[in-house]
Amino acid sequence: MALIPPVGAAMVTPIQPTTVAPTTGVESAGAAARSDSFGAAVNRALDTLNTQQLNADQMARDAATGKLQNVEDYLLTAAEAQLSTQLTVAVRNRAVEAFNEIMRMQV
Amino acid sequence: MSGLFSSLGVAGSGMSVYKTWIDATADNVANTNTVKPTSEAAYQAKNVVAASVPGGANAVGQGAQVTQILLSDREGTVVYAPDHPLADQQGMVRYPSMNMTDQMTNLIIAQRAYQANVTVFERARDAYLRALEIGR
Repeated sequence: MALIPPVGAAMVTPIQPTTVAPTTGVESAGAAARSDSFGAAVNRALDTLNTQQLNADQMARDAATGKLQNVEDYLLTAAEAQLSTQLTVAVRNRAVEAFNEIMRMQV
Repeated sequence: MSGLFSSLGVAGSGMSVYKTWIDATADNVANTNTVKPTSEAAYQAKNVVAASVPGGANAVGQGAQVTQILLSDREGTVVYAPDHPLADQQGMVRYPSMNMTDQMTNLIIAQRAYQANVTVFERARDAYLRALEIGR
């Protein structure tokens, strides 16, 4: 019975400085990591994707209004936008899958 | 063109070149019977000059491009046609110096090459789509 130490103030106090004092350090490190995080990468990919989609839309508009010079230009842009979309979605799905796998992990 | 799906851009550049060739040939065929008086230049057949675009990922090249349109001789073929309204004092007029056989042959070559580029485009697209399904 003497082997079990009593739960007292001596056991709790050492935890507090580690959790409270370095909060600012942890936060700034978190922010730095966040700018280069997966979310940021997805954001950048979506930005590029959006530009490509807008290009394709513009081409479609040009085709409808008779301003398009080359048919293949439109098909090219459209195909590229489609492939980029699928690539981004595939990367996102794979990452979410990995995240879910980690979340299911028994600790 | 982004380097990620570069084959699409390469195939597209090929299509662009052959489209220009078909356009030029169409113009030539349309002007086969364009007659000019001897005081003016004859219709000059348009010839597309293609060149490769260097660079690209792993230096495999970035496709083809049209560098210039060369015009054939301005002399043309001077034909004796005294009844022609454009005939000069000697009864001569200028016809363009090209023949339909060459133009039609060019047209077929350009058309087939365009189709080949379309096939490359489709195959590349299918390959990229398949690549996105890896591990699914």
